[in-house]
Amino acid sequence: MIEKRFRVSREELEKIIQICENIEKRGLNPFTINVRDILSKLRRMLEENLDLDYYVLDAETMYKITTLIALQHRWLREKAQALFVDAQMIETRLLALDKKSIVRAFLKAWRPIISLEHITLQRLRQGAEHFLSLPPRGEERSWGWKVSQKDVEFLKTSLESEEELSQKVKSLHEELLREYEAGGEVDYWSFINRGGFEKNFERAYLLSFLITEGYVDVKRNPLKGEIKLIPRREKAERKQPVSLVIVMRGEDK
Amino acid sequence: MSNEDTFSRKLMTAAAMLLFKSHRKPGVKGWELKHRLGKNYMKIIDALNSYLKRIGLEVKTVFEEGEDLDKARFYVTFAHPLTLSDLVTAGWSIDEVAVLAVTLSILASRGGKAPAKEVLEILQTKLPRWRAEAHLERAIRRGYIEKTEEDMLVIGWRTKVEIDQKELLKSLLEMKPEEAAEEDSKE
Repeated sequence: MIEKRFRVSREELEKIIQICENIEKRGLNPFTINVRDILSKLRRMLEENLDLDYYVLDAETMYKITTLIALQHRWLREKAQALFVDAQMIETRLLALDKKSIVRAFLKAWRPIISLEHITLQRLRQGAEHFLSLPPRGEERSWGWKVSQKDVEFLKTSLESEEELSQKVKSLHEELLREYEAGGEVDYWSFINRGGFEKNFERAYLLSFLITEGYVDVKRNPLKGEIKLIPRREKAERKQPVSLVIVMRGEDK
Repeated sequence: MSNEDTFSRKLMTAAAMLLFKSHRKPGVKGWELKHRLGKNYMKIIDALNSYLKRIGLEVKTVFEEGEDLDKARFYVTFAHPLTLSDLVTAGWSIDEVAVLAVTLSILASRGGKAPAKEVLEILQTKLPRWRAEAHLERAIRRGYIEKTEEDMLVIGWRTKVEIDQKELLKSLLEMKPEEAAEEDSKE
């Protein structure tokens, strides 16, 4: 019986909180609620429910009612400033008037800001300095973008290195899967550290592709400062991807 | 340099600071003027204001935190209302200003906040929905209106500077279609 009464009171308090929040969010008239009635109801319910959970909810409701009273205060002040013009009256007026008349009424109250976009002498000087500091362009690039034989060669080599890169990523994935199957979650730093800084950096770089693609999950414990890796055989879809910045310094981490 | 020269130079600096946009938003803070013009910057601003008034402009002070001038923002605005033909010359369309006027009067009459859906319903009585939405979007970009995550429209920073909301509601209630026709024939 007591439990049922508590549940009913709780539902009632939650309803009051929701109404208060709705008025605040939607900018409705805060005087639609009778604060005095609600307060006396709250007092009655408080006497009936001597429970800590109830006290917490009661305090939250009181806070929302206080916010509502502050809203009522603001509402009155704004109404007074707007000469108590009723919103309904304004809407009726807007519907009755034609576009030009509405614009004319608006023009009486409108004083636009005068502001100009400009270039300063300092910016002009900076621009000129930057232009003069640019290296001269090669003959083959003098007019527009012409693809030379040299560019084609460069593109070919970059394509080859891309294949090489995907091969390296694949082998790193397999290595991580093996370590995971042997001992569970893999520590990021111990997995990355394999000799010199360049090697470590390369491994971190390759691993970032696997993480972005969804082949590796990263679990971070900010209290212990640990970063754990959980590899997957299949690619997982990232619903809410976030960026993780990892700083690598010189010889150690 | 004589005192007069120093004063005219400061007047020029104040005019450049107020008229040229140097931040994302137009206008300058009081402390910025103090930094460039010295602690008696209000004297310079007053002098500039009297110059500007001769050509129909004025310096407007908008207090942002209490009555502290250093934290207030200063703008140059028109001193007198624009006419319908000024508006067209300035590149505004009647529809665009009508959308702004309707939206701001609804917001002003409802304490500065209203659901976007309800505002659009009223706008649709005057304009096709797509056009009303496009103009509303532009007003949001210009800073006249802000849109919250709950799809509510709120009065923006530019409205607080440029529009006398009380005057807007008053002139809407007083406006008669005949008056508009008369003003049309005058122009």
